[in-house]
Amino acid sequence: MIELLVALLHSVLDAAPPLVFAAVGAVLAERSGVVNVGVEGMMRAGAFAAATAALAMPTPLGLLFGMLAGAAVAAVHALLCVQLRADQVVSGMALNLVMLALGTFLLEALFNSSSGSPQIAPLPKWLGHSPLTWLAVLTPLLVHAVIQRTPWGLRLRAAGEKPLAVAARGVRVNRLRWTALLASGALAGLGGATLSCATLDHFEHHMPAGLGFMAVAAMVFGRWSALGAALAATFFAFGDALRIGLVSSAPQVLDYVPQGVLLALPYALTLVVLALRPRGGDAPKALGQPFDPELR
Amino acid sequence: MRVTALAVAVCLAGLGCKKKEEREGTQGAPSAPNALAAAKPAVVGLVTDIGGRGDQSFNDSALRGLEAWAGNVRFAQGKYVPLTADERAKLLPASLAKDVQPLPVKPLVVQSKAQEDYEPNLQLLVDQGSDLVVGVGFMLENAVEAIAKANPAAKFLLVDSPILDASGKPSALPNVRTVVFREEEGSFLVGALAGLVAKEKVAFVGGMEIPLIKKFEAGFRAGVKTTNPKAEVLIQYTGSFDNVAKGKQAAQDVVAKNAEVVFQAAGSDGLGVIQAVKEARAAGKSCFVIGVDSDQAHLAPDAVLTSMVKQVDLAVWRASKRLLDKQFVGGDEALGLKDGAVAYAPVTVDFPGKAEALAKVEALRAAIVEGKLKVPSNLAELDAFTPP
Repeated sequence: MIELLVALLHSVLDAAPPLVFAAVGAVLAERSGVVNVGVEGMMRAGAFAAATAALAMPTPLGLLFGMLAGAAVAAVHALLCVQLRADQVVSGMALNLVMLALGTFLLEALFNSSSGSPQIAPLPKWLGHSPLTWLAVLTPLLVHAVIQRTPWGLRLRAAGEKPLAVAARGVRVNRLRWTALLASGALAGLGGATLSCATLDHFEHHMPAGLGFMAVAAMVFGRWSALGAALAATFFAFGDALRIGLVSSAPQVLDYVPQGVLLALPYALTLVVLALRPRGGDAPKALGQPFDPELR
Repeated sequence: MRVTALAVAVCLAGLGCKKKEEREGTQGAPSAPNALAAAKPAVVGLVTDIGGRGDQSFNDSALRGLEAWAGNVRFAQGKYVPLTADERAKLLPASLAKDVQPLPVKPLVVQSKAQEDYEPNLQLLVDQGSDLVVGVGFMLENAVEAIAKANPAAKFLLVDSPILDASGKPSALPNVRTVVFREEEGSFLVGALAGLVAKEKVAFVGGMEIPLIKKFEAGFRAGVKTTNPKAEVLIQYTGSFDNVAKGKQAAQDVVAKNAEVVFQAAGSDGLGVIQAVKEARAAGKSCFVIGVDSDQAHLAPDAVLTSMVKQVDLAVWRASKRLLDKQFVGGDEALGLKDGAVAYAPVTVDFPGKAEALAKVEALRAAIVEGKLKVPSNLAELDAFTPP
């Protein structure tokens, strides 16, 4: 029994980090008032850039390039949504599509393959897990502290709730949003880099295979709080680990519950939780509204 | 117009059938070289599924059959370069080198980026005057059916699925040849090997829980049952073919439960399976993984015991050959061990009792080829299966 629990914990610690980074990143963007459904594309950019950079340099340095790539995609999002006040959902989805195609294009251009990059040197293991796992434990705490306990965090939250009030106090809302988006992109990029450098040892052309959307779901499930999002992401990974552990240890379960139902369970549960909560109760009030300082 | 075309197609198909019967015995014999040399190169079009070029698996295998084996060229920097003798030797297993000769065909390859691309891509190749259009993968089934019906004069090869009607029953078209593989036979042999390598526990990680993947499971379990009846088989399905993280999580579970050999048939999820086994070995566990579709040993040379190989290349080469020999006819075909279309990749890792184990597996292969042993292809047949 203890052995099984250890295996469960191990599995969660290994599977959750990409999702945790991306979900915490999404929280940063949305607390500032900018919808970020482009997480998927930012993760893909991060996964690709990290694996490509790691071919030429030590893998930990490659991770930085992953973060930069994620931030670069976020910069485009910021340019469109913050600067040019475009529709934030449309911009995010468009970036996802662009990154999907760009990743494939670059794979073919650089590696003459549509399936993946060459293998990179693996990251070292700390206590049986990649260092990124432990970073994923620390990051939500850090981001939570920044959002909840620092003056910058207060302004960030205010920018997402009442940007006019923030502007009236002489703080530049759009600059806050730019910073938040760049940080959000860097974290999503790190999530993607975790996929290509820790989960696997190369970029695989499907990455991140919908994980970015799950990160957005985890953010909503976690009520737009960094800790909540990280817990929700961990819960998704735990749900998967539990199902996997259950079907191999007690296959007779499948006689009663079809595999498909078990596969869908964590997401179905998310829907239930969302349905039970008051409408839009936790979302930042100014979410999705571009800020125009001239309109005051 | 369409009616005439259809009639012509049916006539051709009828002729072809007759010819095929006549030539059945001489299959594989070299055809008259003069006739071949005189013919202008045939254009063979190929549409990949969304896996595309470089998937190191199914699509690459089909492309190898068409480009390297038949066309004797390789694709580099956007154009075809003739193969040198060395390169050809590298791409063609020695056992096939004698039979598989270059053919006067011109490859025309279109990759699919999304499911919606299949039909336009197939139609494009027909419009470009392809003498044969190959659709790679069961995902192209509907598209090939639609385009073959719309272009009754064109010839098609569909790999990995028969043409199915609305109720899921096979329904042949006169201008479509379909090839499926007896994956259960190859899976049986790797299962038998797994049973010999492992003492108590082995595992199977599948992708989506669909009949095609169940064939792998049934064959594998039958193989394990044959060589190691007491061994427990852990079964996992990841529910996807594109998510490496899911495959890794599933494999970590079975490895934590001391599975000694893991067989994956999970597409890209399988890369995660191989990675999990590789990491478990680095952490001191003794376990092996068995790859699928093509030889995956290069991904983790120490960890990959063998791979269950589907020789899509051979199927594509053969279809091209038949086309040139004017023997191409519609109909369904299932290729297995006997045809050399499924196999297990050379075992390059070492384990105790390797020689005896391989001898046993070879004996089982001979039994299947001779028809003495019928491998179950679904779970119902598996229940009724008694090991020899």
